[in-house]
Amino acid sequence: MHSLFLRFFLSFWLIIGIIISAAATAGFWYAEQVRESIEDFHLSDPLFEASAALDAGGPIALKEWLQDYEPARGITLFIIDEAGNDLINRSMSTWTERTYRRHRDHDKLRSRLSRRDEPQNLRRSRHLSQLIGGDGKTYTFYVSASRIPESIWGDSDVRLLLLIFALLVSGAVSYALASAISSPVRKLRIATVSLADGDLEIRVADSLGNRRDELGLLGRDFDTMATKLQGAAKRQTELSRNISHELRSPLARIRVAVELARRKAGDLSEFSRLDDEAERLDSLIGQILSYTKLEASTDRKFDVVDLGELIGEVVENVNYECKADAAKGVKVIAHTAQKIEIRGHPDALISAIENVMRNAVRHSPPNGEVRVAIKRGETNTTISVSDSGSGVRDDDLPRLFEPFYRTRESSESNSLDGTGLGLAIARRAIELHRGQICARNGAEGGLVVDISLPAS
Amino acid sequence: MDKLYPRTREQTSANTQILPRIVKYSSFIIAPMTPLADDANMNGPDQSASILLIDDDRELSAMLSDFLSADRLRISACNSGEQGLLEFANSQFDLVILDIMMPGIGGLDVLRKIRQSSTTPVIMLTARGDDLDRIIGLEFGADDYLTKPFNPRELLARIKAILRRSKPQNGESRNLKLGDITLDSRTHRASVSATELALTGTEYEILRCLLETPGEVVSKENLSQRALGRRLLPYDRSVDTHISNLRGKLERAGNKNETIQNQRGVGYLLIPGS
Repeated sequence: MHSLFLRFFLSFWLIIGIIISAAATAGFWYAEQVRESIEDFHLSDPLFEASAALDAGGPIALKEWLQDYEPARGITLFIIDEAGNDLINRSMSTWTERTYRRHRDHDKLRSRLSRRDEPQNLRRSRHLSQLIGGDGKTYTFYVSASRIPESIWGDSDVRLLLLIFALLVSGAVSYALASAISSPVRKLRIATVSLADGDLEIRVADSLGNRRDELGLLGRDFDTMATKLQGAAKRQTELSRNISHELRSPLARIRVAVELARRKAGDLSEFSRLDDEAERLDSLIGQILSYTKLEASTDRKFDVVDLGELIGEVVENVNYECKADAAKGVKVIAHTAQKIEIRGHPDALISAIENVMRNAVRHSPPNGEVRVAIKRGETNTTISVSDSGSGVRDDDLPRLFEPFYRTRESSESNSLDGTGLGLAIARRAIELHRGQICARNGAEGGLVVDISLPAS
Repeated sequence: MDKLYPRTREQTSANTQILPRIVKYSSFIIAPMTPLADDANMNGPDQSASILLIDDDRELSAMLSDFLSADRLRISACNSGEQGLLEFANSQFDLVILDIMMPGIGGLDVLRKIRQSSTTPVIMLTARGDDLDRIIGLEFGADDYLTKPFNPRELLARIKAILRRSKPQNGESRNLKLGDITLDSRTHRASVSATELALTGTEYEILRCLLETPGEVVSKENLSQRALGRRLLPYDRSVDTHISNLRGKLERAGNKNETIQNQRGVGYLLIPGS
């Protein structure tokens, strides 16, 4: 079946059809059986016999007659006394008793006298007949067909088996139908989640088999989409690489040229400046590429990362950089002994924390301190990086994480440090981890950047 | 290559994510690793060291040749991988400088071909901005790498460090032995039992450092200084990568008893077999 619509339509139609015809057939058949057995049974003869027995020997003879009486197959003949009990104490099934009562109550009003040609002690009504004993007690005849189904259906074990069989068959059909629908949908769903988390390699057509219905088509469309996304991501990466290569090649030449010039002309301070600028340009190119990559990234294939160790490493490296600028003498102080495991991209996290720390170092006064505090909560871990600088104006705070945003203070100081992308990269990297980053002015002055990351 | 370096390939594929590794574009102020005063050492036996430079950037190659020649290094510059391999096969070189990003045969392929037959030291010039490229050179057996654009003085310092190292040093003639591992200081060769290890110069030096003090931790700083002739840099994974290559080679040579262990945050140690 090539269409889901057709599959659904035919399956339900078939199931409903089978159930209706099975139920109707069984019902008709049962009714027919009952009718036949009742029709075949003529109550008149036994009635006359019973009437004679009652006349001759009273209730005891009637009881004996009933014990000896063998009705036709599928028929039970009850003789019920005034107390409502069967003469030979057979119990009626609930269903039989209910039918009996209905007939009895119904017929009471219309009970009529017996016909002339019938015995004196016999009273007939439509459903029930009565014999009246010499003592005036009545004996009601009730013919039940209730044994017919039992004799046909057999005992209760067989009925239980039939019920189980019916459940199994209908269950199997329903299961086949449901899984034919839900299993490809589940596969598609898993693939979609992986795709959203950045696994562009994922394809579903193979696992769906050779389906030619709507789900198969959807699977193939999904694959086409994934292929296109993968191509776009690849082109983006290649473009970044090429930009990086093309912009950096001239820089590499500049740096060699500067060195050659330095040899020829002596160590002029301008050469150091040229070197510094080339390096700054290089790091700006790097930051721009890094920012673009993060902006486009949805890759959430995370590893387990020990945040404590990672921060320790970053602190060590930022301190290493600080030592190179010995004149400033800024120090980063952190207590990161504890092990905090979260899920994430180690590189993105390093980049985020490092950029925040560098920013703090840059805005600290000479011999200042940058403090890093880690607070572990139930649902998330907060890393606070506070500097000992002068802080920023409150209206600048929310804009600090915008690319190339400069506060009034930094524009005035005309500082050449930093690319203007560090905090923007940090924000993007933290957002990729579904975390939050925000800045505030600390109680003791200085800027505090809080990074909050969800626990794994 | 996959067969030769299964361990390192695994590590690489784990890193092959859609998001190219986010890179620390920091402007590290690279402290002069080896003071230029070290030039004096070059006047000795290294005077005529010959270097093969393979880079498709002709102008850069020309300027680099100029720059390096002034330090009494003989430079042969090639502008493509094919040409470079040909040149490498035809002459004897003390060191190869290899650009990773070249049209045609790329730097990694050239490195692979070189490593099939030789342990000549190789310095890779890699694109900064791709951590994967940066470290993958080391995994394929490069000795050190520099990211473009680099400070040419830094390149000179690294060349000298490696050249100095690959010359057998005086007073270092004793052979080292631990369990199955033997180191012949005269021929610069290492073997496990009878199987010779094809170690690069860097790997050999690292193994020697570890063998000198078995059971004692050698710091990464120390290993970097002795095997690469330079200080350890921030986020510097070079030593770790070389160690990982070395472990792979030892294992494949059938060494089971001695293990190189990582002491987190401190360094590495060679544990003697029991």
